[in-house]
Amino acid sequence: MNAALDRLLRVLRDRAAARALSLADWDPVLRLGRQARLLGLLGHRLASDEALWSALPPEVRGHFRSAINYSAFRSQAVRMELRALDPPVLPAEARVVLLKGAAYLAQGLEFARGRMPNDVDLLVARADLDAAEAALRAAGWGAEDVDAYDERYYREWSHELPPMRKPGHALELDLHHTIAPVTSRTRADDALLFAGIAPLAGTRFWVLHPCDQIVHAAIHLFQDTELDGRLRDLVDIDGLIRHHLRGEADWGELRERARRHRASRMLWYALHYCASWLGTPVPAAGWPEAPPEPARRAMDWIFPRTCLPRLPDAAPGLGHRLAGQVAQLRYHRLRMPAGLLMRHLAHKAWAAVPTRRSSAGVDA
Amino acid sequence: MTPAPGPIRQTSHSELEQALAEEGLFVDYGACVVRLRSRLKGFARSLREVYGAFPFRPAAPFADLHVRVDPGRGVRRWLRPNARFSIDGVEPFDPFPLASALPLYEWGVNWCFAQRFNQHVLLHAGALACADRAVIMAATPGSGKSTLSAAMMLRGFRLLSDEFGVLCTERGALLPMLKPVALKNQSIELIRAFSGEAVLGPVHAATRKGDVAHLAPDGASVAAVRRPARPALVIFPRWREGAALALEPQAQEQAFARLAFNSFNYRLLGPVAFDAVADLAAACPAYQLTYSRLDEAIDAIQRLLDEQPALAGAEGRT
Repeated sequence: MNAALDRLLRVLRDRAAARALSLADWDPVLRLGRQARLLGLLGHRLASDEALWSALPPEVRGHFRSAINYSAFRSQAVRMELRALDPPVLPAEARVVLLKGAAYLAQGLEFARGRMPNDVDLLVARADLDAAEAALRAAGWGAEDVDAYDERYYREWSHELPPMRKPGHALELDLHHTIAPVTSRTRADDALLFAGIAPLAGTRFWVLHPCDQIVHAAIHLFQDTELDGRLRDLVDIDGLIRHHLRGEADWGELRERARRHRASRMLWYALHYCASWLGTPVPAAGWPEAPPEPARRAMDWIFPRTCLPRLPDAAPGLGHRLAGQVAQLRYHRLRMPAGLLMRHLAHKAWAAVPTRRSSAGVDA
Repeated sequence: MTPAPGPIRQTSHSELEQALAEEGLFVDYGACVVRLRSRLKGFARSLREVYGAFPFRPAAPFADLHVRVDPGRGVRRWLRPNARFSIDGVEPFDPFPLASALPLYEWGVNWCFAQRFNQHVLLHAGALACADRAVIMAATPGSGKSTLSAAMMLRGFRLLSDEFGVLCTERGALLPMLKPVALKNQSIELIRAFSGEAVLGPVHAATRKGDVAHLAPDGASVAAVRRPARPALVIFPRWREGAALALEPQAQEQAFARLAFNSFNYRLLGPVAFDAVADLAAACPAYQLTYSRLDEAIDAIQRLLDEQPALAGAEGRT
């Protein structure tokens, strides 16, 4: 791990480490933090300690202040979006659960201050999905540019609908009906999921059980996102753990819920990287069963190379590119069974041949 | 301490090219430092012309923006060659023809600055200073604010920027963002004729904005790049062919609305920008200035500044 990345992680672990950084140290740390979309969050942590904040070089404060302002703007956009979703837009009887950024924001979680939300993720029970979608469409939300194949992919094999947008609204809306792709081996226990939700005071929204929030973030980390720049997901998990888990009983509950959502392996990896990079406190009794040694070694080779931000000054080395390819394969393998994966990849490969397809179109 | 670096105009071409190819050229614009690297042949030549007065810094501990201007990939290296702009390894826009590498760089840095510097209110305005008292000239594109800014610098004002009024929200001060002034179409010859001291870079024909040439900032403006100025006067300039000079005072609320409207990030900053722009509108008299002759306009602005009591005056570097 290079020095700049090490410094970024050190400041994420303990903001007081920022004092030791010279202006020259900050240069690559700011670039890495920006790439990981963590500047707003880190800025909030530094700015809330006045003595520490005023000891930072003014240039560095400027970049953090900018990120804090930008995240305030995005957070406001999320709040406006949530207000727009109040009844009568979404049927009052549907229990609408906020996921990830929107949930942290609505719960006012301190660790997520300065986080930059890029969309609004909502979860409804499968039984309410059609009604919720119809209600959103009637109120002006619609999916953009999704071809028939992608539409089918989302509806049959994914865990969310194609992203929806409403003209004049800043953010995209993702409507989920569960927290893991339905084709993956991680099959969230929807009954358990919905039995655990809690209403958010003063709103029409609900949030997941704290442990399910952690399990969801772990699933998201390994299955749901772009493959690069997922350090932020780890920072979320670290923040959720420190905020929600108080003692043995909480950790036991987390393990049990991860097991029932068939996400124990993912939770183990998430805890492993959180603990080693962010210093997340995990008691001995908190660990699920460890993956077999060869799998761990493989993961330890792939994950740091794809998850952590890197400076673009040098082209990625062979190791990084290879790790990226392997991670792609693994990502798809986890999401869907082999037969379906072959079909999916064959379709995507065919779709990537533009000239043949468009000339065929002209002939027809 | 190492001695202060000499200006770029006294640096040899090969030294400049080498710096661009290796650690980069560190350009201090005042509000931000850009580290520029390039493997583009000939780019150093155009840079030398418009950055002649800037210090040659081939190394620095810190840069706010890390950008590159590079030749096109693959066949585009030879066939209708083009230039690519990237920041942190990302290319935010399409390549330009090779001959327009300088406008691409200038435009790219403006774009990145407007995207990333939301710690300040970024007014879309020319800004000049006389004894550290700043005139803010806010206007929509095409109203001649760059031309007027260029002319004012050539008559002895300190140029802060022809594009960005960088309003520091904490101190209410205006920071320089001193870039070469992008002159378009007829303005190029107008400024050449206006002053024998105008140093203009090559004319780039038929870019997205028509012909463009860059006026090099003068030594005095470059030397003061780290010195903020105190806003003293707000002008909404309007060039009209053959028009007689006219000054119309603007009510505070009108000035507020026009400044807020001509801002890159007013909406994004919300209450922060509201307070800063309201303070600015309350502190500075504002006029709409209609003119056809540059010297008349500059005299009028100078008179308005002289009428103002020199309030806080110099802010000094903080």
